[in-house]
Amino acid sequence: MWQQILQSVRSFKYPWRSVILAPAALGAGGLLVCWLLSRRKIKTLEMGDGWWGSGERPPREKEDERIRSFQIETSDREIQELHQRLDQARYTPPLEGVAFQYGFNSTYLQKVVAYWRNQFDWQKQLEIVNQYPHFKTTIEGIEVHFVHVKPPGISKGQAARPLLMVHGWPGSFYEFYKIIPLLTDPAGHGLNEDVVFEVICPSIPGYGFSEAPHQRGFDTLAAARIFHKLMQRLGFQEFYVQGGDWGSRITVNMAQMLPKSVKGLHLNLVFISGGLGRLVSLLLGAYVPWLVGLTREDSRRLYPYLEKNVYELLRETGYLHIQATKPDTAGSGLNDSPMGLAAYILEKFSTWTDRSFRDMDNGGLERKFSMDDLLTNVMIYWVTSSIVPSMRFYKENLSQNPNTAPDARIGVYVPTGIAAFPQELAHCPRSWAKKLFKNIVVYSYMPRGGHFAAFEEPELLAQDIRQLVRKVEHL
Amino acid sequence: MLLEIFLTLALGIIIYLFLTRKKEETLPIEEGWWGKGQKPDYEEDTTVRPFKVETTEAELNDLFRRLDQARFTEPLENSCFQYGFNSVYLRKVISYWRNQFNWKKQVEVLNKFPQFKTKIEGLDVHFVHVKPSSLPEGRSAKPLLMVHGWPGSVYEFYKIIPLLTDPASHGLSDEHIFEVICPSIPGYGFSEASHKKGFNSVSAACIFYKLMLRLGFHEFYAQGGDWGWLICTNLAQIAPNHVKGLHLNMVSVTSMRFTQLLSILLGRYFPGLFGFQDEDVRRMFPFLKKGLYRILMETGYAHIQATKPDTVGCGLNDSPVGLAAYILEKFSTWTDPEFQKLEDGGLERKYSLDDLLTNVMLYWVPGCMVSAMRFYKENIGKGIGTQKHEKLPVRVPTGVASFPNEVLHTPQSWAQQKYLNIISFNFMPRGGHFAAFEEPELLAADIQQFVGRVEKEEPWSEKGK
Repeated sequence: MWQQILQSVRSFKYPWRSVILAPAALGAGGLLVCWLLSRRKIKTLEMGDGWWGSGERPPREKEDERIRSFQIETSDREIQELHQRLDQARYTPPLEGVAFQYGFNSTYLQKVVAYWRNQFDWQKQLEIVNQYPHFKTTIEGIEVHFVHVKPPGISKGQAARPLLMVHGWPGSFYEFYKIIPLLTDPAGHGLNEDVVFEVICPSIPGYGFSEAPHQRGFDTLAAARIFHKLMQRLGFQEFYVQGGDWGSRITVNMAQMLPKSVKGLHLNLVFISGGLGRLVSLLLGAYVPWLVGLTREDSRRLYPYLEKNVYELLRETGYLHIQATKPDTAGSGLNDSPMGLAAYILEKFSTWTDRSFRDMDNGGLERKFSMDDLLTNVMIYWVTSSIVPSMRFYKENLSQNPNTAPDARIGVYVPTGIAAFPQELAHCPRSWAKKLFKNIVVYSYMPRGGHFAAFEEPELLAQDIRQLVRKVEHL
Repeated sequence: MLLEIFLTLALGIIIYLFLTRKKEETLPIEEGWWGKGQKPDYEEDTTVRPFKVETTEAELNDLFRRLDQARFTEPLENSCFQYGFNSVYLRKVISYWRNQFNWKKQVEVLNKFPQFKTKIEGLDVHFVHVKPSSLPEGRSAKPLLMVHGWPGSVYEFYKIIPLLTDPASHGLSDEHIFEVICPSIPGYGFSEASHKKGFNSVSAACIFYKLMLRLGFHEFYAQGGDWGWLICTNLAQIAPNHVKGLHLNMVSVTSMRFTQLLSILLGRYFPGLFGFQDEDVRRMFPFLKKGLYRILMETGYAHIQATKPDTVGCGLNDSPVGLAAYILEKFSTWTDPEFQKLEDGGLERKYSLDDLLTNVMLYWVPGCMVSAMRFYKENIGKGIGTQKHEKLPVRVPTGVASFPNEVLHTPQSWAQQKYLNIISFNFMPRGGHFAAFEEPELLAADIQQFVGRVEKEEPWSEKGK
């Protein structure tokens, strides 16, 4: 039959052949080009624009793009005022035998406050905080603070890879202080110096030393766009990003907005919204995990689902509910009472590090963290009065329907690395993450650690970030 | 063949009756001990001691110092009360509190009604007890227990008490004269807080039951809203022979039945089918907005208080500004949800700042915010609809005053699933969650007409006392 067709084609007179062949060739070529182009064309998140300063945006003024050096300072007055408030703290005795089941145990809180009042040295901590260079710059009408650490020494032929690391709530840039040296100076810490970074840790606007937005609507998309502008201002066209908690949402948005700038995305927490498919996967996964792409470790972490996930989440998301609806009310007292602020923030460092800490009288706080480090993080919220704006971020982000939000349907195509820590609030198996993250190159089950990965297990996290880079760059 | 069918049916009916009969169990009265440490061997002191609220210069100076050093956060532009209590207006409230509010004078107002304390199950229980100043010939006062909620206190009843104990002087019919008992829920105001975990609404009901017996009342009426609704409901469940009538200004149904779910989906289109009146439909639908969305937006506080009361209450017990913002936000939003769109939260439209701040002081002075919040964990910490009493009905004659701006509307057809003997269900023309505080006349009138109906069925027995 084929012979017959060839024969009939060959037998055509010249004009007939070209009439058929030429358009056919064009058609085939066109299809090929279309196919090639469609493979390149990834849907991206619209960047948009914003203005977060007071009042109206000045019409013609061009923004001051200078990057100014910044040092965190304190005064005797500030410390005295803090001490005076701690001295007048009013406690309520806990119920008998409840440990941390009703929240932060006030008997232990008194010990924390006593340490804070008598031993914690804020001036000394500030020296530690200032050991890395700090800067501020104005973007979209507000001052954005960031830490920028370059490698102390770099060998010939090596380039420091820029890495943007974004914190969450109730954390801060300070959470990265232990991991930064492992990333900028691996050789000095017994690690291979094939991968060296220069690290940029900004403060999310509304947190710490970044100015709080004055306008409504500042969500993770706005933060992502601002951080893109920051990196561009610093001269980086391509960089890596890392995040957990809000940092995870923000860095994911960054990858969705400008995938060509994001060389690699590393996350220690994955937010994934549900759907019918996931429900089915959940139900079946309890009996035939392999059928729905769940590994044994996934099963161990997910089931019993109701207990480990639904009840746990309900039990631990009261703060999220009130912050997403009445942030100004919830934060009001915390901005006025340092001991209230400490209880509220440190409760998370207890429970989100290990759920069993709820059964301990001291919340297991000092098992993984030093009191100095914990209180330094609290001080960042206290001295900047940023607890209320930090809570508003919840309302701005959680007010809309997650299924219709602009970033809901946009896939993430940049090479992604996911570090799944065992004590994280909610476990996300690789098979679920794949729905959003189309290019997972690293997925690691971490042996230990909870929500505050960089703070609690800097070595493990650094290792995983470096592994991602090696995979991306084929090292 | 017919015989088999008949036998099966008969068996089925017998089983059904047997099963439904089981539901007639009453809620057992618990014997609790909530004091510190071990329960002592000796008998509890049952004396009723007079009590007066007092204040000192030191207490006032400490409060003023804290108000003076308050740290506020500027609100977002054009946010009014939509992000919570607006801090620009909060500054005004704090300034009033610092400079014009006269706590000493308010203490005198508080003390104008006789107050007492007595020890029950290891806790010092505080209560207000107001008898009518004068009674007409041959008449007796009906005892009425009124229970407050969160973030309220006994002070919420100060405007309605005179209307109930002395109706004639207020231009009302004196057909029913009451002597009113308003206890503070243990953990609230001047009532001692439980030292043991597990103190829930049933425990409070048991304590109030013992209180009424101790005061010599064997039959009484009970009235409540917010937690008072639940405690009085439990009281009617544990001691139905003692509660002559149960009056509620708030009703909540915690076990969702299939018919209720169906009524949510179809009630707008077939109201008659589900027993909905026009007013029910007006208040409940569109359900997404008025029901689901309202629940999500307004229950953040309940969620965090039901899981981490000690954390959230901690700062509020240390910062009077934070405490005022947290409490007064409810007096704004739960009085009228539209108040969120106002820069001042509409607070002073229905209440005076003196009254509002006196209520706040009843949390500040005794330092009871944390223990007050723990009540949420004890009651709903394990989930809504999980407790035994939630599945038991109420057979005592019940009256419901349904206020239009209550946070969630419960139609009579739903309430009837639990309250099997509703003899009065009235839509109030105006008012919100804090009924006694905001619309004392309306509430007093409804209580009066409810009691009238109860008495018609069963006149007040003199020998019962």
